[in-house]
Amino acid sequence: MELIGSIKIAASGLRAQTGRMRIIAENLANANSTANTKGGDPYRRRIPTFQSVFDKEVGGTVVKQGRIKFDQTPFSLSYKPGHPAANDKGYVKEPNVNSLIELTDMRQAQRGYESNLNLIKASRRMLSATIEILRA
Amino acid sequence: MNMPASTAANAYANAAKMFEDASKSTGLETKVEGPSFTSVLEDTVGNLTKTGEKSDQNLIAMTQGKADIIDVVTAVAETELTVQALVSVRDRVITAYQEVLRMPV
Repeated sequence: MELIGSIKIAASGLRAQTGRMRIIAENLANANSTANTKGGDPYRRRIPTFQSVFDKEVGGTVVKQGRIKFDQTPFSLSYKPGHPAANDKGYVKEPNVNSLIELTDMRQAQRGYESNLNLIKASRRMLSATIEILRA
Repeated sequence: MNMPASTAANAYANAAKMFEDASKSTGLETKVEGPSFTSVLEDTVGNLTKTGEKSDQNLIAMTQGKADIIDVVTAVAETELTVQALVSVRDRVITAYQEVLRMPV
């Protein structure tokens, strides 16, 4: 049935947003993870990518999570001479995670998940209403 | 959910045969084009058993912490809709049959 196909496509959207949430959680949790060797690189922000893939079984284009990429913006430096990761001049490289951006991304993932859920609900309602005709 | 797909279909096939015998003895012949109701029923029940099995497997896997809740929800929704459709069709057919039974001869 066509509507079951759309339910499956929306389910792939749900799965993609869940994976995105996981990466946002990683970024937020590691917002302060500096290196523990002298002058080493801290945690680099991860960026989720999505891919549209044609699914033969569903008969439509579903979304799949692609490769996880790294954010290439430079690390900010902060002056902490006593820190174990400080370089010769006393500067420590901080992760390039901006919690404000992460929170906005999180809200976006949440909204994307909600809209896919609404699509599933609407499709189910449409199918049930169609079957209901038989009962009258 | 575990039910033999053939039970309902067999019961219907027996009933259909009785009808056929009766119509032969009375000289009334019924010709139907397209797939018989038996085969349609068989297909639907077979399909239902398959989707039911799938949602069962998903549920078991989820309780063991292996499956995704999203898979479970979609599989259960699919089974539910198939059951709804099948039950509605069955109700309609039974109503029609009762209508025939009530016919004054």
